[in-house]
Amino acid sequence: MAGESADASTIATLSCARCEKPAHLQCPKCMDLKLPREQASFCTQECFKAAWSSHKSVHVKAQLSSIATGDQNSDLISQGWLYCVKKGQARTLKLPHFDWTGPLKQYPISTKCVVPAEIEKPDWAIDGTPKVEPNSDLQHVVEIKTPEQIQRMRETCKIAREVLDAAAKVIRPGVTTDEIDRVVHEATIAAGGYPSPLNYYFFPKSCCTSVNEVICHGIPDARKLEDGDIVNVDVTVCYKGCHGDLNETYFVGNVDEASRQLVKCTYECLEKAIAIVKPGVRFREIGEVVNRHATMSGLSVVRSYCGHGIGDLFHCAPNIPHYARNKAVGVMKAGQTFTIEPMINAGTWRDRTWPDGWTAVTADGKRSAQFEHTLLVTETGVEVLTARLPSSPDVYPWLTK
Amino acid sequence: MLKEEAEGVKMEDDDEEPPMAIQIQPDVSVRKILSSSDTVSVGVSVITGYLGAGKSTLVNYILNGKHGKRIAVILNEFGEEIGVERAMINEGEEGAIVEEWVELANGCVCCTVKHSLVQALEQLVQRKDRLDHILLETTGLANPAPLASILWLDDQLESEVKLDCIVTVVDAKNLRFQLNERRDSSSFSEAFNQIAFADTIIMNKVDLISQEESDELEKEIHSINSLANVIRSVRCQVDLSNILNCQAYDSNHVSRLESLLETNKSLTTTDLHDSGIRTLCISEPQPINLDKVRLWLEEILWDKKSEMDVYRCKAVLSIQNSDQMHILQAVREIYEIVPARKWSEEENRTNKIVFIGHKLDEEVLRSGLRDCRP
Repeated sequence: MAGESADASTIATLSCARCEKPAHLQCPKCMDLKLPREQASFCTQECFKAAWSSHKSVHVKAQLSSIATGDQNSDLISQGWLYCVKKGQARTLKLPHFDWTGPLKQYPISTKCVVPAEIEKPDWAIDGTPKVEPNSDLQHVVEIKTPEQIQRMRETCKIAREVLDAAAKVIRPGVTTDEIDRVVHEATIAAGGYPSPLNYYFFPKSCCTSVNEVICHGIPDARKLEDGDIVNVDVTVCYKGCHGDLNETYFVGNVDEASRQLVKCTYECLEKAIAIVKPGVRFREIGEVVNRHATMSGLSVVRSYCGHGIGDLFHCAPNIPHYARNKAVGVMKAGQTFTIEPMINAGTWRDRTWPDGWTAVTADGKRSAQFEHTLLVTETGVEVLTARLPSSPDVYPWLTK
Repeated sequence: MLKEEAEGVKMEDDDEEPPMAIQIQPDVSVRKILSSSDTVSVGVSVITGYLGAGKSTLVNYILNGKHGKRIAVILNEFGEEIGVERAMINEGEEGAIVEEWVELANGCVCCTVKHSLVQALEQLVQRKDRLDHILLETTGLANPAPLASILWLDDQLESEVKLDCIVTVVDAKNLRFQLNERRDSSSFSEAFNQIAFADTIIMNKVDLISQEESDELEKEIHSINSLANVIRSVRCQVDLSNILNCQAYDSNHVSRLESLLETNKSLTTTDLHDSGIRTLCISEPQPINLDKVRLWLEEILWDKKSEMDVYRCKAVLSIQNSDQMHILQAVREIYEIVPARKWSEEENRTNKIVFIGHKLDEEVLRSGLRDCRP
């Protein structure tokens, strides 16, 4: 019961917004405005007619909100905020044209953050193009890290965890993703590290913020988080030449039951995947575990993005897909470090990319959640290098017991 | 401004009468998505071979042929790095060649499953109304294996493109010289890799050599790669079904593999070329255990057991406790074993495995296969 078939069953259970009988009709205005289907469904034209005078306020509210956003964005544009296009290599004054898959659109982004001169920077910080990484042998061979390298990984990953925790603490309705990025940026610099995403292949910001239907690589921008949103913050820190990468999906205010289930299931997918990590296990197996758990919950697994090796390079071998029946090469060995970062969708597994060239969204506009850890394979199992600390904020009800 | 716009909005909806409600259907966007998953993906044939062997001649022959197919040819200089920034697309349409430079956006390379080349090819397919096939003509690529690895995608990705076959064009007049040439004692000339990894080999310019020389050459090619389909040609005028729509990497398309493995003629080459690169075929009549087979293959392909270097591997497998014939495909370290179809009642269930590679040890392989018995 995954992916596309879930859509069919969702339609069958839609109920009339007025009388709660099974619904087979929807308001055309709501469709135009891409408003949620749940409030826009009716059993008959008569019921729709009867509900009309109160229902139409939903349109007004959405249109006013859209105008308000438009005004806010115009103000920002006049202050130098611009829309990101061409993978971060260019900016435009106007919202790029796109058939947005859900309610979310691109918002303007702020100007570039500064990194102090004394911070050690990776080679892409200067001109946006990694040189060492793409040409390294480590793209083909999985590195076995020395005890010294492992110690540096532990240090970096701890800093990355603390940076993410700092970001988590500011999340609430009304905060923009740009403000979250600022927190990440400042916290990383304060710890003496460089925020790896900044200028990586021209990525314009210091972390990825992915709201609702955004799967990953969302660019922090002027949009304010709204009550009911879910938002993933993905942090990677480069400290003393070594990278640590993690992400978590957070609840903004009061979130609906379906979103809570989505986030919890995604958390569990990562948990179950980590549970099988030890020497001798095939990398291919991760996809089987993730897929099994997601499918059982009626959710789908994103296939375009995968886990990756990490260390002195941001991304390197191995590639770890999260879907089943993949041809990933190799088995785990003690001393290897890599990430597992399943992205789980409420609807279809398919993704599309925004005009900014980075933001991946679900093709059907439904929500997506993700969790990620950097892991070390030990002689007997696994060490979660980016694990929660005693100081990490209490944001998941299933962890508070 | 806001107030007026807001009032405008309110006015719009002041009608007493609601519009006609619309029948609920799956989202149009979802429908588009669903239907796109039904479309057949476009095959990509990789054309490789030495400069001057006749690759361009082949490409022109295909583009000029009146076969009614829309074929895009991508000419690419692959250096150290397989990346495509710009590619020239020649679209043969009813004989006319339309040249078009296409800017292929550099795909996001971080943590993506699909290489930027694949993303570029997918963009190409999406852009065109109807594309029947893609030819990827390579220059400067000594070894087609990395390209095959990139293009041989998991079925799960439901990509708009799929690897169809690797075609090597060899120059009949110069091949012998190219095979004997060594840059240094530890490396082989590119000709070996191009032959070993090919699904189809076009032996071109046969008009420049005698019949006997052709026969000898074909034997020599088969001694390196017994599985490849060798076609002789003059000016690359070949039957296009040998290059287009071969489906050599399709897990569903087994008939060619089956017929190859059915031949009584032994595929094992005994005349060892100087290079030590050859084809080896081993068989086992009893059904074997799937888990053991995987471990055994991984030891060979991933751990380079006994220093054997396997380039390609294909097999028909009889798996314990299954009524399905399984097939195995491997290109360097990437392999897959999938059930293909049900064994029929009359069929003689057996395992037949073909290895193409360097330093293949027949005894080690045979005993390894025997150990896969349940």
